[in-house]
Amino acid sequence: MGTPGGELIRAMAAGDRDAFARFYDRYAPLVFPFVLRIVRDRADAADVLQDVFWEAWRGAAAYDPARGTPEAWIITRARTRAIDRVRAVRRRGETFVTPLDEATAGAPTPPGGDAAMRAEERQLVASALAQLSQAQREVIELAYYSGLTQTEIAERLEQPLGTVKTRIRLALARLREVVTPT
Amino acid sequence: MSHEPYETLAAGYAVGALDGEDLAQFEAHLPGCAECQAAVRDAHDTLARAMLSAHPQIPPPGVREALVRRVGGAGRRSWLRWAAATAVVAAAAAGFAATWVAVRYEARLGQMARETAAVRERLARNEAALQEQVAFYRGAVELLRDPTTRVVDLRGQGAAASASGRMIWNDAGGGHLFVAGLLPAPAGKTYALWAIAGGTPRAAGLFGVDASGRAAHRIAPGSTAVQVFAVTLEPEGGTPAPTGPIVLASK
Repeated sequence: MGTPGGELIRAMAAGDRDAFARFYDRYAPLVFPFVLRIVRDRADAADVLQDVFWEAWRGAAAYDPARGTPEAWIITRARTRAIDRVRAVRRRGETFVTPLDEATAGAPTPPGGDAAMRAEERQLVASALAQLSQAQREVIELAYYSGLTQTEIAERLEQPLGTVKTRIRLALARLREVVTPT
Repeated sequence: MSHEPYETLAAGYAVGALDGEDLAQFEAHLPGCAECQAAVRDAHDTLARAMLSAHPQIPPPGVREALVRRVGGAGRRSWLRWAAATAVVAAAAAGFAATWVAVRYEARLGQMARETAAVRERLARNEAALQEQVAFYRGAVELLRDPTTRVVDLRGQGAAASASGRMIWNDAGGGHLFVAGLLPAPAGKTYALWAIAGGTPRAAGLFGVDASGRAAHRIAPGSTAVQVFAVTLEPEGGTPAPTGPIVLASK
């Protein structure tokens, strides 16, 4: 579908604003639900999204295709900013720490739409992760969405640290199989 | 130390879960190890594919507006194409990460197509019913324009004393009967209208009432001038001459 993401980033690095608009149009609808799932508030997610794409515009020259795909480049940035936002909000005491069951319950639902549609969206959001075992999914979600470290995850799940580390590695290996087109 | 433990560390590092001694150790190791760099890169790619495989969602339009302003007004050219472009992106993005997303989308699209067809069919039915109603009321209005048209009151009789009816009648054009306050006919029964001319009742059609006790009934013109209208309760299918109790009658 049009120019590859890497070329758009290169054009952005050269100051091509139209390329930036296209980059945004292509990736924002994909990044937004991801950010929303972490920060769980539409207004916060919109703020984070703006920061992420602003940084992408500013940092386009530093993008090195040898170090990762454009998708990984933008999603890694989005995750960092989203988790920063969650921690900042928690520090302000505006929200409770997300309970474990809620953290693993799937994406927040967008306003509007019927219940069946929302359920289906949740299913789609969860579907790549849904291919993992419950135990594997749990560690990925706690680390990647909730920003917990391996030690925190081990405490939370009351599992030995070594088990958590192994589980993360196996979960990633499984996820790789799931998302690799056959 | 063998390299194997680093592979576990690379996974933890990629999901941002390393801490303490592990983090320090891996960060010291990573710059000099092409294998671990590749493992981290691969893990980030895997995570990106998995995370971006979610159902696309259009972000609030304010975000794009703000970014366009911030980068200095470019992108305005494509501003008007925003809605269309985003829709294209959303649709195209479904197949972006992995095949199974595309498969799910196809299933969903198929379902949507079926739902759309069902809605269209329902609309067509509703439209036909509405057209019929419009024709009915238009006919009544046409009759009222004619100075020879009479409006005849019908009064409830017997058990149906609280019912009322109004007949718009034109000897040449036929008529429309509007009824209110009539109980729905019991099972196996129906209401029958009679146009009485010269003491002889002529069957003028059968009708039922809706749940609110109302009915609207069209009557074809007859050959003779009608003096009296009456409604009786008759067996379903009707009878050649009135047999049941009179529920409504004009004077």
